[in-house]
Amino acid sequence: MRQNRCSGIANGTKEWQVRGVSNPFREDLVSRNLPEACTVVIFGATGDLTHRKLIPALYNQAADGELPAGVKIIGFARRNWTDEFFREGLEKLNREVSRTGHDEEVWASLASNIEYHQSEFQDDDGYRRLAERLDAIDQERGGKGNRLFYVASAPEYFDDILLHLKRAGLSDEREGCWSRVIVEKPFGTTLATAQHLNEVVNGTFEEKDTYRIDHYLGKETAQNIMVLRFANAIFEPMWNKQFIDHVQITCAEHLGMEGGRGGYYDQAGALRDMVQNHLLQLLSLVAMEPPTDLSADGVRDEKVKVIRSLRQWDTPELVAENVTRGQYTSGNINGKEVPGYCEEDRVDPESETEAFVAVRCMIDTWRWSGVPFYVRVGKRLPKKATEISIHFKETPSVLFNAAPGGVPDGNVLVIRIQPDEGISFRINSKLPGTTLRMEPVKMDFHYSSSFGKSSPEAYERLLLDAMAGDATLFARRDEVEEAWRFVDNIENAWHESDNPPLMAEFPAGSWGPKEADEMLKSEGRKWRRL
Amino acid sequence: MEEALMSGKISTEGLGMPVEIAAIDGELRKLWEADEASTNASLMNFLVYTEDPHELTANSKMIQKLTREHACRAVLIAMDRKAPKPSVAAWITAHCHLAHGKKSICSEQISFLLSGYSFGRFRNTVFAHLNSDLPLVFWWQGEISDLFEERLYSILDRFIFDSSTWSNPTEGFAKIMEAREQTNDHMVTQDLSWTRSYHYRLAIAGLFDDPAAERSFFEIEEVNIVAQKSQRTSALLLLAWVTEQAGWKTGLELGLTAETNPENGESFLFESKEGRNIVAKITWDDDGAPLSLLSIKSPDCEVKVSRQEGTSHLCQAICTAGHCLNVSGPADADDPEGLVADQLSRGGKNSLFLRMLPRFLKLL
Repeated sequence: MRQNRCSGIANGTKEWQVRGVSNPFREDLVSRNLPEACTVVIFGATGDLTHRKLIPALYNQAADGELPAGVKIIGFARRNWTDEFFREGLEKLNREVSRTGHDEEVWASLASNIEYHQSEFQDDDGYRRLAERLDAIDQERGGKGNRLFYVASAPEYFDDILLHLKRAGLSDEREGCWSRVIVEKPFGTTLATAQHLNEVVNGTFEEKDTYRIDHYLGKETAQNIMVLRFANAIFEPMWNKQFIDHVQITCAEHLGMEGGRGGYYDQAGALRDMVQNHLLQLLSLVAMEPPTDLSADGVRDEKVKVIRSLRQWDTPELVAENVTRGQYTSGNINGKEVPGYCEEDRVDPESETEAFVAVRCMIDTWRWSGVPFYVRVGKRLPKKATEISIHFKETPSVLFNAAPGGVPDGNVLVIRIQPDEGISFRINSKLPGTTLRMEPVKMDFHYSSSFGKSSPEAYERLLLDAMAGDATLFARRDEVEEAWRFVDNIENAWHESDNPPLMAEFPAGSWGPKEADEMLKSEGRKWRRL
Repeated sequence: MEEALMSGKISTEGLGMPVEIAAIDGELRKLWEADEASTNASLMNFLVYTEDPHELTANSKMIQKLTREHACRAVLIAMDRKAPKPSVAAWITAHCHLAHGKKSICSEQISFLLSGYSFGRFRNTVFAHLNSDLPLVFWWQGEISDLFEERLYSILDRFIFDSSTWSNPTEGFAKIMEAREQTNDHMVTQDLSWTRSYHYRLAIAGLFDDPAAERSFFEIEEVNIVAQKSQRTSALLLLAWVTEQAGWKTGLELGLTAETNPENGESFLFESKEGRNIVAKITWDDDGAPLSLLSIKSPDCEVKVSRQEGTSHLCQAICTAGHCLNVSGPADADDPEGLVADQLSRGGKNSLFLRMLPRFLKLL
């Protein structure tokens, strides 16, 4: 009888399962889902993502002892490289970027499990050879046949890769072991293309085996949002329209289109590139109801309710009222002259793509009725910073309105996502002296000051989660599609209507167009100064 | 004590500025006011206690390293119990380092040298110099003495010790268990002898995911541990973990005993759920790493985790039918401050250790 490679026993069921137990040595050892040994196949292995993020993430897991024994890595790409050449390139980059440094012994151990597989993404034979190779690995290693396919190629190849995986039988359900797929962003460019991609993905892999990566969710501070909200009794009772005036989410980038990124960016724009995925994910973590449990679907069920409850800006008038788009003109950042957006490398001089967008989001739920969530993202802003600020309502004006300075400002809770990750809280305090004068003061928590140990990179956490079958920090199909529905309405108003809202301009190095400031000013608010 | 300090018998190097006990808070404030460029960071009160006054400077050096990852208010207390008359000396300093190459982050340290006997002085010294609201982590170095009493341990959040340094572990653990009982298990206890085998346990758990090892689990005949003789409690805790997790009964419960030559090591018998006998041997090797081998053998498979002296990696192997799958992974720290740092990073209630304790105490 042929042995089943997944289980190692003849009838295809795990020995532990036969005996009605699980690996007893695992019990109580660590408080997270444990990653299982597998072969990781990376499509687009010659690209920057593999070299700068994925392999260093796997290396750091190995250095920290988190990577399960028996993990094999196969890089799948079109270039005619050898195993040796592939490994040398990976090693060179790992030395530069690894969070934990580069230890020869750890690298040697990891590198001995890295191979290169040359094939076109549309070549049936390449996938047939891949299947044979995976079978041979399982055979010779005597390990489980778990497989993790990481689609890190350019998005135009996603369909080909997924369809060929299916055709080669590589996504087939095999008893006792799993095959999973991680798909990189962009997950579609419109609702229709996302739906199409979802059809292709789910025609190949079941939804439970599909992991749509959004690396923002792997960041320590993003994960801390739920802890902050639900593990601290003081916040949750105030986390609603009764006490919160508004919420701001800012993702500022001082860079422009350096390094050839103009080619991609000019096709996408700020709304598709950042708001549809990262910022709506952050918004949903801030606004969601407490989940019934911390299971993947428990959390994602609540997040998707938020996205589904976003009021749709589905006419040009509503978009003009609630969304500001803009392009930067030439300016000065850090003492350096920088060109305007339309003069950037690989950007169409007549481009109608936004490099800045600010959106007023309204969440039509009982908790958030009437509370605006202002989301802004842009290139060539004064500095790089991503943060969420919760602006609490001001106190009643009965006590301090006669005091110099008048009614004190409302409290602000700030969650800094990057850089300088941390949390701060602004409160009002009396200035020392014989008169009653108040000034806001800040209580500040910095991850880097309090915890000397560096946090794992987002990709480290997410890769381990995928190996462990924990999809909590990955986007689900309905989340992605609902987010596209919201974004598509705005895109349609900009590009399909007869009366499109105007493209605003702002000098590079400033905090965006004045129209974005006006959006808040008209409601008596202003953007937080970062 | 003054004589010992004056004559240089007790070194005060690295302890910082001598201060009057009553002026400690004021002097600390001045220290921070004088340095506007640094950030005072603290996540916990970290108290290190030793009854060897010569350890004070060594502990200060350890805190210097430890605070790179664990910002704290460090309180070092050394007790010279043999000194004829009671006296107290104190010093303050700050340990600073650059966080991510930029900001200077500092942790403050207060050191005390207590001499002679004075009722309640040790406990009150602890009480008086804690940062309010922050957790209190207490690292007790060496034997647990009579100063470990209810009014002290009732305020501890985390108690760290190393049972491998005790001359009588049975007595030491009895005191710990009593303290836990008195505090309704509120105090988290952490034995560095248990921390020392963390990566061994992690490696074994990972290796037993492999189908070959999985099958062999139900046919295990032999467990071998090699350790330095001074690490007897580390070895026994590791053996307690393997056998408890595997669900084997101890031979002691069944009236089975194994022949042992105490000079070379110790042997134990266990019985699996299926009624098979399993022999467990602990062999002493003072030339090797503190824990240098854990091997679990069945007729067709050997799962082995080993470490060579001086290396920072564990070699993990599954050998079956002449073929071995080898991988390497990180090893546990050898130095106490490294073990403490790892333990602080992991946090938690240490419930697995508590579950092992009854079996470990039987093996002890």
